[in-house]
Amino acid sequence: MAELIQIASDEDRDTFYLNMGPQHPSTHGVLRLRLHLKGERILSAEPIIGYSHRAHEKMAENRNYIQFLPNPSRVDYLSGMIYSIGYCQAIEKAIGLEVPERAEYIRVICNELNRISSHLLWFGTFLLDLGGVTPFLYCFDDREKILDLLDLVSGSRLTYCYGRFGGLVNDVTDDFLEGTARFCTAFRERLREYDRLVTQNVIFRNRTIGVGVMRPELAQQFGITGPCLRAMGMARDVRRDEPYGIYDRFEFDIPTRTASDCFDRYLVRIAEMEQSMRIVEQALAKLPDGPIMAKKIPRKIAPAKGEYYFAVESARGHFGMFIVSDGSEIPYRIHLRTPSFANLSTMRTVLPGTLLADTVSILGSIDIVLPEIDR
Amino acid sequence: MGRIKEIAKGARSLIGSMGVTLKHLKDEPVTVEYPAERAPISPLQRNAIRLIEKEETPGSHNCIACLQCEKICPSNCISITGYRPEGLAMKRPETFDLNFALCSECGLCLDVCPTATLGYTKVYDKAGYTRADFFHDLLEEYRETEEQVVEHLREADRRKKAEREAKRKAEAEAKAKEAGDAQ
Amino acid sequence: MTPRTFNDIFGNPYLAVLAATTVIMGYLTVNALMIIWMERKVAARMQRRLGPTERGKFGLLQSIYDMGKLIGKELITPTHVNKGLYLAAPVLVFAPVLALCSLIPVSQSWVFHDYDIALVLLLAFSGLAVIGIFSAGWGSNNKYSLMGAVRSVSQTIAYEIPLILSALAVVMMAKELNLYQIVAKQEGLWNIVLQPVAAVIFLISATAETNRAPFDIPEAESELIGGFHTEYSGMRFGLFFFAEYSNMIIACSLATVLFLGGWHGPLLPGILWFFIKVYALIFVMMWFRWTFPRIRFDQLLSFSWLVLTPIAIANLFVTAVVSKLV
Repeated sequence: MAELIQIASDEDRDTFYLNMGPQHPSTHGVLRLRLHLKGERILSAEPIIGYSHRAHEKMAENRNYIQFLPNPSRVDYLSGMIYSIGYCQAIEKAIGLEVPERAEYIRVICNELNRISSHLLWFGTFLLDLGGVTPFLYCFDDREKILDLLDLVSGSRLTYCYGRFGGLVNDVTDDFLEGTARFCTAFRERLREYDRLVTQNVIFRNRTIGVGVMRPELAQQFGITGPCLRAMGMARDVRRDEPYGIYDRFEFDIPTRTASDCFDRYLVRIAEMEQSMRIVEQALAKLPDGPIMAKKIPRKIAPAKGEYYFAVESARGHFGMFIVSDGSEIPYRIHLRTPSFANLSTMRTVLPGTLLADTVSILGSIDIVLPEIDR
Repeated sequence: MGRIKEIAKGARSLIGSMGVTLKHLKDEPVTVEYPAERAPISPLQRNAIRLIEKEETPGSHNCIACLQCEKICPSNCISITGYRPEGLAMKRPETFDLNFALCSECGLCLDVCPTATLGYTKVYDKAGYTRADFFHDLLEEYRETEEQVVEHLREADRRKKAEREAKRKAEAEAKAKEAGDAQ
Repeated sequence: MTPRTFNDIFGNPYLAVLAATTVIMGYLTVNALMIIWMERKVAARMQRRLGPTERGKFGLLQSIYDMGKLIGKELITPTHVNKGLYLAAPVLVFAPVLALCSLIPVSQSWVFHDYDIALVLLLAFSGLAVIGIFSAGWGSNNKYSLMGAVRSVSQTIAYEIPLILSALAVVMMAKELNLYQIVAKQEGLWNIVLQPVAAVIFLISATAETNRAPFDIPEAESELIGGFHTEYSGMRFGLFFFAEYSNMIIACSLATVLFLGGWHGPLLPGILWFFIKVYALIFVMMWFRWTFPRIRFDQLLSFSWLVLTPIAIANLFVTAVVSKLV
């Protein structure tokens, strides 16, 4: 064994280190996990990040507020719409810009559609991590429909640059509104199917129930947010706690579970998709007529000197932007507080003691997007 | 006994799952066989930018080389040089290059264009072997007709100027007349 | 009733071996290529895709093109491997398959080789492949490969037992180890009617024995990348791949022989019935694979030891008592 497998140390011949990633099928990009293993049991785990660092925060310091618009959606490319519109809302609040009603409603519809598509992709890849290929392709089929819808209004399929300070680029078309309503009806049917295919499946249940339990005190220690937090039984959601945009006008529940294992995180996300559809349907029913851009938009976007913090609920949790302005057109500093980073840092405490196969499912269940962690 | 019940329940759930995949076995595939057939693209789809041809005068565009798009572009992928032809009020672009390899399709250049002369091409699957394949010369299709267009614009400018002068003259005359009448 | 064997046909045993090897190779190749194509088509249709369409009618020639690609690829031998084991492994995995295949009675008029203890031989040989897998995992000198190999060994041991126990139930009823005679005795009444529990256990264990999803933990791509064949490329990987599908054919053939009455069936000729049954079973295996997520390693073992084995033993016991009484 000694000459074949690199061992941890000369004294300790039973354990070994395993580098999982940065090139590995189920580390969702370029995460590297340094695992200390005894057989298949994990003794310690250390996530190593930074392989897709693109310096988005530094980029912000070298361009003006408008030019930073394409960046947020590339930070987390799976919920790009939420990030992009969130950034617009942050700056609008900072400079005191009013957004027309119609634009607000369209923003909500697009945000929630994006949330569903992000959860769908997570659902598919999570099942792929567990070895089920077919649900993955069903999810992509559904996600494709959402991408088509968002393409119809924003002109891009993944990294949207749809929001502008004071409104939106394009108005929605009737095609989009009808398509969205149609999608909601069809997707409810699909959710029932997923329930039979996956949720009820005994193999899936055995692999997720009781696996990767996060103790509630971790939430405070690491700042866990989003579905991972709600699976711990804490009903925290930025949309409800500090409503931004017009989220206070909609009726929706915040799904929670209590066991905080992979299965609960799965159920929370499934329930969230249903709630998102509820919001979309309400917004579609109430959508007013009117312009989509504010009338008077200042030529120079320059928030007054000071510090601003604005948060939105992305598909992965609490996404915050901390903006320091020196009164000029170019931000002094923009810090992005991304949810996956906090959620991933719990892995060091959650993974030890589990099996290698569980590592994959736990890592999948917290829904990380690596470029968003590295930024 | 509880164990047997559990196994039976598990087996039933597995059969339920198999029912779902079996149901889809007879469904129509959703695949679009890409090179042979293409899915319809959104009318707003963002791609490389182009200069929109003016409807009233074919072979011409409206760009005035104001450099607004070059300034706003976050990726610095647009480079324009302008010149002012003899006897023309507005500038014209001499070169208008797009380095599409850098473009992030944010659409900010379209927002700022004062003459609304920028639009998107419909080619979304261009591939190339070198970086040079992604340098777009936006003026390519307009180069031949540029002289004619400038001549045309000059004509228009002259006409406008003449009109303006005639108007001014008329106004001055009217004023003079008024003044004369008043006296 | 005795079938004609290759020995009878050719008269000379050496000639018979040569002919049988050629025929079996051809038989396996054609079937494996068909199954690979079928697997891709079935998977595609279940996932609402098209699957291979470009090469040949309905993409039927796709597997042949893939084989050509694998043969044409460079064989990379990593520098840090244990060369002997690494190079021997693909052959070790593939060799038992040939021997196994020669024992299956495909039709009532002839078999490759008629042997009185064919079933024992078959079950013994089917355990051999794991040696190849283990030497691949060990010889690759790669942690992922080694884990895959270790998993594979414990899985094979765990599932060999319910497999044999369920086969024994049939043997007890037929009082015969000769596969040809076992099939011959099923005329009119297939064993699956009398032994439904054994049949289900046999199918599950056979799926596990052939390392097919949801029991594909030795090569679980989302955990172990490729498991024991991570370090293999080109036709060496091709042999592993080929052996997996060949094993599938043999497992399904054996299940057909033991439980589905082999060549028995109305109207159509026996050999056709045999293949219809084999392919139906293969379809079921594919159906499993494209529906279920992978079972976790420890659950896989406890499923075998705590669920399948006790049921198989109970089934065997009941069979023994009933066959004594009747």
